[in-house]
Amino acid sequence: MDATATTAAPAGARTYDLNFARWVYRNVEGGDRISLCMQCGMCSGSCPIGTAMDQGPRKLFMMIRAGMKEAVLTSNTIWNCTQCYNCVVRCPRQIPVTNILQGLATVAVQEGYAPKQPTARFSKAFWFSVTRFGRTDERLVTAFYYFSYGLMEGVRRGLQNLPIALRMVKSRRMHLGAPHRVKGAADLRAVLAKAEEIEARDAGREGRP
Amino acid sequence: MSEGKKYTFYPGCSSQASATHLDKSLRAVAPKLGIELEEIDDWNCCGASVGHVEGGTLPQAALSGRNLAKARQQGSNDVLTACAACYLNTHGVNEKIKNDVRTKKRVNEALGAAGLAYEGDLKVRHACEVLVNDVGMEKIKQQVTNPLTGLKVAGYVGCQTVRPFAATDAGGDYDTYDQPEFLDDFVEACGAEALDYDPKTSCCGGSVSVHSPDKTLHLIKKIVEAAVNAGADVIATPCPLCQQNVEMYQDAINKKFGTNFNIPVVFYSQLMAVAFGMDANKDAALDRNMIEPLKLVELAKKTPK
Repeated sequence: MDATATTAAPAGARTYDLNFARWVYRNVEGGDRISLCMQCGMCSGSCPIGTAMDQGPRKLFMMIRAGMKEAVLTSNTIWNCTQCYNCVVRCPRQIPVTNILQGLATVAVQEGYAPKQPTARFSKAFWFSVTRFGRTDERLVTAFYYFSYGLMEGVRRGLQNLPIALRMVKSRRMHLGAPHRVKGAADLRAVLAKAEEIEARDAGREGRP
Repeated sequence: MSEGKKYTFYPGCSSQASATHLDKSLRAVAPKLGIELEEIDDWNCCGASVGHVEGGTLPQAALSGRNLAKARQQGSNDVLTACAACYLNTHGVNEKIKNDVRTKKRVNEALGAAGLAYEGDLKVRHACEVLVNDVGMEKIKQQVTNPLTGLKVAGYVGCQTVRPFAATDAGGDYDTYDQPEFLDDFVEACGAEALDYDPKTSCCGGSVSVHSPDKTLHLIKKIVEAAVNAGADVIATPCPLCQQNVEMYQDAINKKFGTNFNIPVVFYSQLMAVAFGMDANKDAALDRNMIEPLKLVELAKKTPK
């Protein structure tokens, strides 16, 4: 009799993917250094927003090594990072913690784990401006971000932040008129499209988790 | 004093909107300090701290790649930027291109789509590091004709201006990332008083504060509160996003925590412009602060014209 047939994981058990750690080591920038993590907790202890983190980097790195792909890519730790780099400069093993969290955020979006995350929405609005104009139009990025929550919510957020917006206009720090754009916007788009193509090609070659 | 030194200047997107007062004041004081700025022709956004999420890691790096390739076409002068995020991205990608063959190859393959290439032979520097290492405090002091006597300043450096690169050879090795002194040195060179200020390198929440301030208002409160408690007239900072977050959310903090904060937040370069006897608005751009820096405005009026 096949013993493994009776030891299938019960429904609802956490899914583990032991290839995940290897994939992160290879594909997330700086990810190979996760294997050096000695779980000292300097990163999580240095985090200014640690109380808002469900896991914190220390625990997240252990979860990566345990292959807890879903739990890692749905963790709010990768979204709440403010990129202050305290953990990076303090890590006794020189693990680029912030950069790894950035890489995981990118992967989480690519794999569809984070469609509703504020950071993902904000980044989408931001990237629109970058690819369209070659520059960040703060006013349009903010508006696109607010309205990514729908018309009503967009209006609500807009009104809530109207006092700030008006003060920005008054102090002439909100650009009015047509967006600033680079002359070589088409060239820039070609570069970005090529970069995306290279990334997809290399990811295909190097395998997905 | 020697002749001016020329740098290739990357102003960044905030220079055209939320941080025009940094751009204006820096361009105003630069010639007095022997800094000649030549803008990167047709520069683009660096991707800031969020571009990689939607755009991907390599496209984000390619943004800086294009700026660096354009800068190199203009010569081999050091690239100078005053924005923390621009510095972090541009310097970070530059170092990767220098040290990592794979990154160099992939970025150049992408740049090839627009007929561009970059070998990694430029140096990218933060404006503050240039002020410390190339200009020096003595030269800053020599330009002061209107010392900011009596002005109490809380020097707030923030994160990305010094982390993670400040204490590295590649980052110009000009200060530490936990107890940086350059900002207080600038303040005192201008004749103002640099207060003891604990949250010097605390985090304002960065871009998380921009899209989800509910998560980070308590971080900004700490920064403002310590300055007020220390008796500061103004908070001074080198970072565009710090300046904006710490200034524009004071009303929201007051509402949430029942406080009564209304303290101006200025750039070090605005302090310098006033101390150098330059025009309050045309050069120091004091009219572009949401919270008017009254004491600084008063000091600017004293200027012998």
